[in-house]
Amino acid sequence: MNTDKELPKLLTAWEETYKKGQLTLWIFLSLKDGKKYVDEIKHFVEEQSNQTMLCESQSLYRNLRKFQHLGVVNYEVGEGNKGPERKYYFLTELGRDLLDSFIKRNINLFFNERIKNLINKEDK
Amino acid sequence: MKSLTNNLLYFAMLFIFGAIIFRFGLSFFLENGSYNLVWVIAAIYFIFNFMIGWIFGKRDHISLPLFDVGFRFHLVTFILFNGISIAWFLLELNSQKEEIGVVYTTAIIWSFFLVLHFIFYLYAQKQSIKGINKEEIFD
Repeated sequence: MNTDKELPKLLTAWEETYKKGQLTLWIFLSLKDGKKYVDEIKHFVEEQSNQTMLCESQSLYRNLRKFQHLGVVNYEVGEGNKGPERKYYFLTELGRDLLDSFIKRNINLFFNERIKNLINKEDK
Repeated sequence: MKSLTNNLLYFAMLFIFGAIIFRFGLSFFLENGSYNLVWVIAAIYFIFNFMIGWIFGKRDHISLPLFDVGFRFHLVTFILFNGISIAWFLLELNSQKEEIGVVYTTAIIWSFFLVLHFIFYLYAQKQSIKGINKEEIFD
């Protein structure tokens, strides 16, 4: 099999599946970082993910409306920059607890010494 | 669960408008013996309701994907249509060729389908958190 040819295709296919559902984690991380309006969340997600997570503003608004309805996110209206007032989103107590629990159960696994070593170990 | 959304309210307002026009047209054409036009206005009324249901239902789902299998829109339609129809008779705006019994019969038959729809709605709620399908929350 020609690995040079197959690798990018397989990697893209894996990444497409892997990224599904990850937007929530990135949104929550951006709000853990501090209150933000939609464009700031978008900027944070794209920058911190090294542009691997690209998100449309509409998609962010839709997700934020859902999260607000569920009580994990809320917003306060603040001054806009020479424009209309903006909604500054933040994590509620439930949202912070949810993120912490998710990280403990799913993300911290990768900080286990053995797993860290495996991730950093280079195959010949 | 947030049940009364803006899109549902817009739908309800347009539905009331359409239902009044329909009842007026129905009574007017029946009174004047223009039976062919009764079919025309009924068809227009059906298309109008289908369109506003489609447009506002879709907008409602995009805005907040409540997993209610369309039950809220159905319930509002049921209450408004039958309410307006009964009020039409109570206000004596009906033609002499209309009978209130038809309205009651329609409501009773329709109730059966509404209850069926409600059962599906309850089933959908079991798969939801605060009205949003669990599978759609973090998609």
